[in-house]
Amino acid sequence: MNAPMPVPHKPLPAREVWRRIATQALVTLLAAFWLIPVAMMISVALLPSSARESLLGGLIVLQPTLANFAQVWQDNPLPRFFLNSMLITVPTVVLVLAISSLAAFGFSRLRFWGSGLWYILLMLTLMIPIPTLVIPLFQTAKQFGLLNNYLGLVLPYTALGIPFAVIVLTSYFSGLPRDLEDAARLDGCTSFQVFWQILLPLSWPAMAVVFIWQFMVSWNEFILALVLMQDEARKPLILVPLIYNGVYLSKPGALFAILAIITVPVVAIYLFMQRYFISGLTAGSLKG
Amino acid sequence: MRRAIQGQEGLLFILPALVFFAVFVVYPIIYIARASLLDWNGLAAGTWVGLDNYTRLFRDDPIFHKTLRNAALWTLLTIFPQMFIGFGLAVLLNGPILGRTIYRAIFYLPAIVSPIVIGIVWQRIYDPFGGLLSDVARRTALPWLSQPFLADPGTATLATIVVNVWQWTGFSMLLYLAGLQGLPGEVLEAARIDGATGLQRLRQIVWPMLRPVHLTLILLGLIGALQTFALVFILTRGGPNNASQTMPTYIFQQAFQLSSMGYGAAISIVLLAIALIASLGQMRFLGSRFVVGQGD
Repeated sequence: MNAPMPVPHKPLPAREVWRRIATQALVTLLAAFWLIPVAMMISVALLPSSARESLLGGLIVLQPTLANFAQVWQDNPLPRFFLNSMLITVPTVVLVLAISSLAAFGFSRLRFWGSGLWYILLMLTLMIPIPTLVIPLFQTAKQFGLLNNYLGLVLPYTALGIPFAVIVLTSYFSGLPRDLEDAARLDGCTSFQVFWQILLPLSWPAMAVVFIWQFMVSWNEFILALVLMQDEARKPLILVPLIYNGVYLSKPGALFAILAIITVPVVAIYLFMQRYFISGLTAGSLKG
Repeated sequence: MRRAIQGQEGLLFILPALVFFAVFVVYPIIYIARASLLDWNGLAAGTWVGLDNYTRLFRDDPIFHKTLRNAALWTLLTIFPQMFIGFGLAVLLNGPILGRTIYRAIFYLPAIVSPIVIGIVWQRIYDPFGGLLSDVARRTALPWLSQPFLADPGTATLATIVVNVWQWTGFSMLLYLAGLQGLPGEVLEAARIDGATGLQRLRQIVWPMLRPVHLTLILLGLIGALQTFALVFILTRGGPNNASQTMPTYIFQQAFQLSSMGYGAAISIVLLAIALIASLGQMRFLGSRFVVGQGD
């Protein structure tokens, strides 16, 4: 994943040393600049509610306090919203992984009627702007009693997540050697046994990519959640700032504390798994 | 698929995926195509009006025309800046840099944060009363920074686009970084010996060799730009006076705030047609793919 740093055998010429220092400084400066909005999310959350004036819009806080976090945690059922997000995201991820790995096995290992056509049709999903589906999904969810129901989001999220997962997994499966499978076939294994016992255990790097990607997409999806979850008790975390935007208009510290709390879980998951994500995404996709 | 197993068993494996596709993609599209021919508030049965919704859209709706213009702006002004800045960052990070992993995570970080969170933070950055930019303006000789960027029809769309570029440039960087690391080292080495300068090498060798990455980013960027909703919704609600309205926010407004489901459906169909034609066209004529260098 990381290109190995060139290890110099001889001391570098002075010009090269300066060039490296300059590059490092430039990258650091850019990164600091890039982080300003994120820093601001945290610093404003530390702003005391008594503060009338803030420096640089709240980027610099003179008397930081954690009181905002205590207050919003106490006043609002944040764990409830967190649970809602999990109840929507986790089943989606599991369904996408199960359905897409089956399909990817079919596409990469079996020949059947119309396989190329089915694949292309599935990929059309990726070109469809989600907002165009909002009206029909709302109306049919209403008709089938799925408004304010976790399934009302889990099922469409799954459908929308399958195509990308199928691409990633099909390309990964296609790159795996088939000797073991051929041997298993000769021993009389069924296709499903080959899939379940041989291919799946080998494909966790690609499964990890799909897991992380789908987790973040479902966690951050907005327009369908906005329309399909109107009951406050069922809303996922992403809708929470909308509930409080008005309430905390005069208390930016409290509002930003909520923003920081919402952001922590995804960032934690990403940082924890970024190694698998980036290596899987890039290695898998570039070799193809 | 050389040694693929014959038979129809494969259909069983892809059946669940196809069922989801049929129920949650194909059926909604048929549904919405029909709804676009109705005058319908979403509650009572609709009245058949034929293509009236479409004639109204194209002939008499200046807001819809504005969303078309904004779609063009979004497409051009997000895709290319995200590509160029992302490429620049990738080149920098591909050099001998200490702590590459940390920098990479920093630039990619905005892409994993919810657009709603990002929108609220940027509202405060743009806020002409005590926001970050206005405070900077007060302390420096840059008074133009203190403007109601989001409340001014002339700048609202651009101000929203800037946030999008900030959020997604890290994604371009990630793909370019992967592309750079996949380039054969000899090519760069040969160019160096020939005396080509760094910039020449980048422009004449590296940039053209990353064509698959460019094409993937253009394709993903196009679809992303056409379906932008959350950022606009939170930053401007399509305002002021519809100046930053996009097709997705206009669909939402018509269908869920003005109860014109039929009209909203017609906008949806137009958006769908634009997205399909533009992305299929790119795949057909440029060879763009959804994943870099991969068979589909």
